[in-house]
Amino acid sequence: MKILVVDDSRVMRQIVIRTLRQSGHGGHDIVEAENGREGLEAVQREAPDLVLSDWNMPEMSGIDFLTTLRGSGGTVPFGFVTSEGSPAMRAQAEAAGAAFLIAKPFTPESFDEALGAVLGAHP
Amino acid sequence: MTVTLEPSLGDVHAVVEEVWSSFLGAEEPILPLATPMPPGGWSAAITVSGGWDAQITVNLTDGAAQAVTSTMLMCPVEDCSDEDLRDALGELVNMVGGNVKSLMAGSAVLSLPLVGHGDISPGSHLVEVCRLELTWRGEPVVVTVHLPPTADPS
Repeated sequence: MKILVVDDSRVMRQIVIRTLRQSGHGGHDIVEAENGREGLEAVQREAPDLVLSDWNMPEMSGIDFLTTLRGSGGTVPFGFVTSEGSPAMRAQAEAAGAAFLIAKPFTPESFDEALGAVLGAHP
Repeated sequence: MTVTLEPSLGDVHAVVEEVWSSFLGAEEPILPLATPMPPGGWSAAITVSGGWDAQITVNLTDGAAQAVTSTMLMCPVEDCSDEDLRDALGELVNMVGGNVKSLMAGSAVLSLPLVGHGDISPGSHLVEVCRLELTWRGEPVVVTVHLPPTADPS
């Protein structure tokens, strides 16, 4: 299985990848991108099985990334990993087609809870 | 409608503690202890605009900034570049600011973080409404929230 991690922060991409390992989901191929536009290109190029994306990024935000992806027919499971977890943002994420939203700061447990269903469907 | 409510000191403190305990190690908690902040150091700021306008700023000494970066990247301090430090502090204030924003009513947009060596003064139209003076690993850490002054209803 291949996971695309999209975040403009290299530090946060490393923390996300580390937390995937800590939550028992470390055996997957990881691809990285720095913003939504690069994320779209990476989806086309790499055909990931799951996208984990930040929301607040330069060039193209995470919500624009998801909206563009779904608008072009992309159905890859998509989850946000973002510093804002308000009910309004969770509702916006769900309406745009996100499978889940993990709020930063997160723990391995919160990662496992959110990713379990999606990764379980793609062994 | 513009919402000008202030976040409580306790709520902001809880956000900062959660960020520190999750990403910087629960075994070295950030303490509610004021330590004098020497001149210089690093500042990381993020603004919220829209239904709730604010600037959230984290000020750290050079030592604390290096320790934050080293811990988040899990690498020795000497291997952390200035670019790493700006990245780590930007994420730190992004998490604090995003979670503080989530406490407030109204729709608003979070900016990208701004990180610099030295003071990042908020706009002159903003006033400080919340100030946390904390200590982590013996180094001072200051978190502030600035808001526009409450409009006079008259």
